[in-house]
Amino acid sequence: MASETLEGGETPGLSLDRLPVSSETLLGIATILPVILLYLVISIIPVGFAVWASFHEIPLLNPQWTWVGLGNYAEVLGSLPAFVDALSTEGLSALSQGGFWESLVRGVLFMVGSTLVQLVVGLWMALTLNRIAHGQRIITAVVFTSYLIPTIVVTLLALFMFDTFYGVFHVIGSEWLSIWGPNDFALGQKDLAMPLVVLIGSWKFSVFITIFTLAQLRSIPERFYEAAKVCGANKWEMFRDVTLPRIQGVILVAVLLRSIFMFNKFDLIWTLTQGGPGYATTTLPVLAYREAFEASNYGVSNAMAVVMFLFLALGGITYFKMFNPGDEVET
Amino acid sequence: MSTDTDHDDIRGVFGVDFRTADRLYQGTLVASAAMFFVLIMFPIYWMLQSSLKTREARRAVSWVPSAETFTLEHYDVLLGTDVGLYLFNSAVVTLGTIICVVAVSLVAGYGLARLNFGHKENFARFLLFGYMFSPIVLGLPLYLIWKEIGLLNTRVGLIIALTAISMPFSVWLMWKYIQTIPEAMEESAWVAGASRWESFRDIIVPQTQPAIIAAALFAFALAWNDFTFAQILLPRNEATTFAPGIFRLINQGYGAPWGDALAASMLTTVPPLLFAYFLQSYLLKGFQIRSL
Repeated sequence: MASETLEGGETPGLSLDRLPVSSETLLGIATILPVILLYLVISIIPVGFAVWASFHEIPLLNPQWTWVGLGNYAEVLGSLPAFVDALSTEGLSALSQGGFWESLVRGVLFMVGSTLVQLVVGLWMALTLNRIAHGQRIITAVVFTSYLIPTIVVTLLALFMFDTFYGVFHVIGSEWLSIWGPNDFALGQKDLAMPLVVLIGSWKFSVFITIFTLAQLRSIPERFYEAAKVCGANKWEMFRDVTLPRIQGVILVAVLLRSIFMFNKFDLIWTLTQGGPGYATTTLPVLAYREAFEASNYGVSNAMAVVMFLFLALGGITYFKMFNPGDEVET
Repeated sequence: MSTDTDHDDIRGVFGVDFRTADRLYQGTLVASAAMFFVLIMFPIYWMLQSSLKTREARRAVSWVPSAETFTLEHYDVLLGTDVGLYLFNSAVVTLGTIICVVAVSLVAGYGLARLNFGHKENFARFLLFGYMFSPIVLGLPLYLIWKEIGLLNTRVGLIIALTAISMPFSVWLMWKYIQTIPEAMEESAWVAGASRWESFRDIIVPQTQPAIIAAALFAFALAWNDFTFAQILLPRNEATTFAPGIFRLINQGYGAPWGDALAASMLTTVPPLLFAYFLQSYLLKGFQIRSL
């Protein structure tokens, strides 16, 4: 990112025209105007609206808004002592509750678990696809397809394959492996629901990491490896000294994006389990949705969303400070 | 590739000699490729073969439809049912989104890469913050706004929303990609008397093709995928797209119409498969840029 910053800012001595702003600035702003407008309508205004709503008590079916100030935030964040208490006495089983902090912890577990699985599988797939000698095009197409398939199809397939009447995974899990009973719906089991949602999500989203990494791998000149070979490097050393430095930056960016996307993931979880059984798969976005539509508490739901955003922004900034992905990529 | 062996005296991985290491590596490679192929193909295969079976045959887990149980009747969902309409709506929305995303991000990317104006880096960075708000947060206010200005239940309304959502990413993509095109190419066109618009049209657009296809594919993935926005912004059944439509269909009443749902799902899987096969090199080239 560093080199482009030189272009920014005014270039002194070039503004021959007497306008307060140069024509280039005007043209430049004109090119990004559609983006700004769209952004205003789709992001800024709704976000502002959400923040404004978070200060009110809003029963969803009633247009009457009551100002409660930070009351919603107090309600959302105030359950922390009870959560810490429950955690110290009951351990991890305290996470089965539907409170904000429980859902936050579940959401972080979901995010970290998903991102880790996706990173490992995605990287592995990219390294495989990059070097496979035969059928590369077909296998790449198949792998990419899993990313382009709609989430709802992934969901339907999962529900169908885990179905207690028709499901092939159900049969494999109950009859072959005895992980669950013959009449148990796997996604309806408290202990299994979250890991299964993580795996089903990873089936689709690992490929995101693969695409980023594979593109980068393709741009590494073959002569680097030949040179390494001449020097007597083995496969692992080649990976460590040639491949890894080249893909490091792109991996850092992909991991950041994936974490954000998984933390905010709603459709996959909602269509698979509706946050259940109980609260076993209720992450923060799902909790915010349930709060708005099941508890009809739109104000509190928005307060959750705002806190969620603040956590993400904080996490994002920390990540940038620690790893500086933008800098890493500049090789 | 997990251990770091002592490479002063033993050169291969895990202390084996080069030839064995090479064979091991090739073996792992082929095994990995086969494993990923099976892992991803199996559900798709299962969807295909199940959609070609009668309802009774689906009750018993079997690998292929037999001659008696083979049927194409589920593919009739395309004709005259709501599912066909959902698919049509999805296609319209996806196409519209792709066109809007490419047009808007190409122009903005050009502006960011080639024109000097203050705070443009800050602007681009700010764009990425949009991803930190969950769609579920943006959806509801949008519902009220769309209702106010009459865009609710229209495909245009959904296209605008989806364009905005996939834009930050495509603008970055275009910005970074256009930077890799030498500026001298444009300058020589200007010397030859071309206007900025002509140089943009004749030099930048053709050169940016891989990034355009990559951005289009990502817009496709987003729009073809979208559940949350469509669910909120298209509450009426006749305007809805495939994802919320099929979800409502499955969830309403007992005895879910699995055959129809699987057949329709199979149809939504074919375009991704074709795109992935024919456009993969463009997709990868679009990402082959230094600093994204």
